Amino acid sequence: MFLAVLTPTDSRSVSPDATLVQGLLQRDVRSFEQLYDRHSRVVYSLVLRILRQAASAEEVVQDVFLQLWRNAAHYDPSRGPFLPWLLTMARNRALDQLRLKGERQRRREDQVDELPPVPVPPDFEHSLDEKRRSARVHSLMDSLQPKQKRAIELAYFEGLSHTEIAESMKEPLGTVKSWIRNGLMRLKEGLLAP
Amino acid sequence: MSEHDKFRELIEPYALGALDPPERAELEAHLRADCPECSKALDEARWLVSQLARLAPDASPSDMLKGRLMQQVRAHAGAAGSRVPLWMWAAVAAVLLFAFYNAWDARQLQERISATNESASAAIAHQQELQQQLALAKREAMILTDPASMKFTLPASEKNMPELQVKWHAKMGICIMGHNIPMPPANRTLQLWLIPKTPGAKPMPSMMWRPDPNGDFMLMVTNPPDQMNDVKALAVTEEPAGGSPQPTSTPMWLGSVS
Repeated sequence: MFLAVLTPTDSRSVSPDATLVQGLLQRDVRSFEQLYDRHSRVVYSLVLRILRQAASAEEVVQDVFLQLWRNAAHYDPSRGPFLPWLLTMARNRALDQLRLKGERQRRREDQVDELPPVPVPPDFEHSLDEKRRSARVHSLMDSLQPKQKRAIELAYFEGLSHTEIAESMKEPLGTVKSWIRNGLMRLKEGLLAP
Repeated sequence: MSEHDKFRELIEPYALGALDPPERAELEAHLRADCPECSKALDEARWLVSQLARLAPDASPSDMLKGRLMQQVRAHAGAAGSRVPLWMWAAVAAVLLFAFYNAWDARQLQERISATNESASAAIAHQQELQQQLALAKREAMILTDPASMKFTLPASEKNMPELQVKWHAKMGICIMGHNIPMPPANRTLQLWLIPKTPGAKPMPSMMWRPDPNGDFMLMVTNPPDQMNDVKALAVTEEPAGGSPQPTSTPMWLGSVS
């Protein structure tokens, strides 16, 4: 029910995604290419934000899409739209990669960041939907207290736990837990609102 | 707050990956215990958390990444495509089955054709034999009825033996008939001899035969000598089965050609 209400804009993108995933199951290369064109940008953006290093991000994105090609059957359409599933897989892999690296290496890579974005013209409507959805999430997150937003970002992009975030922000553990829980609830409410 | 409510509050932080290990383990145990409400909430929370990806600054991967990926995927698809799918094996099996059936059917047909050919050949041979018999019968009839045929008898050497009747047509041949003729022993045969007029010339061996169970026979010599006058007499002896080049016994029947 929640997903059905929450993702009206997804209904337009889920259907083609589901069709394309069916194509993957038939080993249709063209379906794979279309899925890549539709979602590689948002997947890459997420992975790059987590790893902060273009070459590593591309490696992870490559790995994610190869996994998608090989294991498309693992996606269960009855449990939700395709893109969140893909983004969850991409985030998990990026965080795994991040954990494999030492802090020192990460800091050094922070300085060699930034590969100029290559504009990819995806399908026009899909692009609009992405922008609309992105703007809404940005708006909702910006409405949170800066520390609350920061705590959620540390958890999401850095893969830190409540305790690690509390230590990092030098805030009480209970406060961090409340920030995160309440922040996510506000995000949910905001996305549910018409 | 109930135990369930406590876990329910952990669902979103869990989807975010923010739970510390002890809390995470407790919630996972609760989820494993099959709580449909929390499982559903977790699916929804995962979707919610995935929306945070929009916070990442927009960036695009290089074209080279797509090139590399497509190359790998095409190679994998090609390798996968080279495998023979099940339906194709089924089609091959069907074709093979059809081919075997056709071969079997063709063999059956060939055997039927061979059998038909054999029976046709036998029928033709039988017909030829009948035609031959008919021709001989016609010939016999002509020899026996033609006024040009010369009739004479071959008297038996023993008194209680019947004589043989002979009709000789200069062109059609010689017919020799016998009635109530004693059957020669099993390893013996009757043999006809033509006795030349030329002094000192040896008897010419001719046909061999055995009478039927009633002691009757009708013998026809289809290749008589060109000149009847060259033959002085006809004789019949009993010879070993297979005949002899020269008479080995006294003639049982002997008669001059006149």
